[in-house]
Amino acid sequence: MIRVQQEAFDVGAEQEALTAGRTDIGAVVTFTGLVRDFNERPEVRALTLEHYPGMTESALQTIVDEAESRWPLLGVSVIHRVGRLTPGDPIVLVVVASAHRRAAFEACDFIMDYLKTRAPFWKKEHTANGDYWVAERAGDHQDARRWETPT
Amino acid sequence: MTLTHLNARGEAHMVDVGDKPESQREATASGVIYMQSATLALLAEGGLPKGDVLATARIAGIQAAKRTHELIPLCHALALSKVAIDFHLDEAESCLQVLATCRLTGRTGVEMEALTAVSVACLTLYDMCKAVDKSMEIGRIHLDTKTGGKSGDYARQDDHRLQGATAPLIGDTATSPIVTGEGAAGEVSLGPRCDIAAPCIRVKCLAELRERLGVGEISVPFDRLPSSDVAGLKTALKAMDERFEGLDRGRVLCAVNQVMAGDATPLTSDDEVAFFPPVTGG
Repeated sequence: MIRVQQEAFDVGAEQEALTAGRTDIGAVVTFTGLVRDFNERPEVRALTLEHYPGMTESALQTIVDEAESRWPLLGVSVIHRVGRLTPGDPIVLVVVASAHRRAAFEACDFIMDYLKTRAPFWKKEHTANGDYWVAERAGDHQDARRWETPT
Repeated sequence: MTLTHLNARGEAHMVDVGDKPESQREATASGVIYMQSATLALLAEGGLPKGDVLATARIAGIQAAKRTHELIPLCHALALSKVAIDFHLDEAESCLQVLATCRLTGRTGVEMEALTAVSVACLTLYDMCKAVDKSMEIGRIHLDTKTGGKSGDYARQDDHRLQGATAPLIGDTATSPIVTGEGAAGEVSLGPRCDIAAPCIRVKCLAELRERLGVGEISVPFDRLPSSDVAGLKTALKAMDERFEGLDRGRVLCAVNQVMAGDATPLTSDDEVAFFPPVTGG
């Protein structure tokens, strides 16, 4: 399940939705990303997330499909918020279910690494010293490259 | 009257069109998706959970037209020169009318492409809206007109089409822009849409690139492209407006019809090309 939305999400409800009525799931890993009050500059008051409707959803689906081809997963949910968010707000949620924990941990890590380098979202941060667009980080690309060589 | 897809033994076969003369072909088709009035209102406002429904359905229809030969067994693969998808909101009937126009100069008609475009655009609308309305109904998919070719022109007689002329024509320009939420400096200038009479490429600049160039959306006449690919489009953009020199500064990515692309990616009329900076979500 993939959603791009302005509204906040409920981590518990999303996990419940993924596991409801199932007894074959032995592990659920959830990752929640939050808006920090510091990034490239201090005093981030808010950020605005822009995306490319249509392509965003298909890019996320491609990432989830890739994860499902690499690990034996029993369910994946990805929710990414767009619009204006303030520090402390949840911004992204990844929930991965599998029979055993290792697949769920690794797939969740993989999905976030690919999401950060491949899904068309852009952050603009609003700080005490003005607004600026967040630049890509080399570290994110290094993280994503970890998955290129099969382990 | 014979069925051209059946041979003398009544077996299905693909018609050899090699000897047919090339001519300008055009077909228009339409269909309707009925929905609850609340769903229609959400769609018009751009308030649906999956995002910009009409923009996505338009791209889905265009892509489907191009891939008709993969879906319909005896259809030829065609180099369409134009595919256009339009929508009419009809609040009185609580439905959305989908219209597709396909054109090419070639040896076969483009009716199947237009019908496929309408069908898949309707299915995409259903998919995008089903979270809020599962009772939607797709119907009245039919060929409206066709011109060119040996069998001559056709115009549907018992025209059951909606009174679309009075309903407002809506496109991307009427729905919410790409920017979601408030971005004070994020002004989006939505350019004019492609004109049916003038084949063109629709170009979008997103996020930081849009603000840096000062251009959100622009239509480029297809005949301005020195080559029918992304590199040719960049050349045409720079010739039209020197601000597009900025496409060469920093890392600028490109997507054609919402799929990542490069300078060598081929373009056809009515493609949507987006330029944007490296992504920073998560």
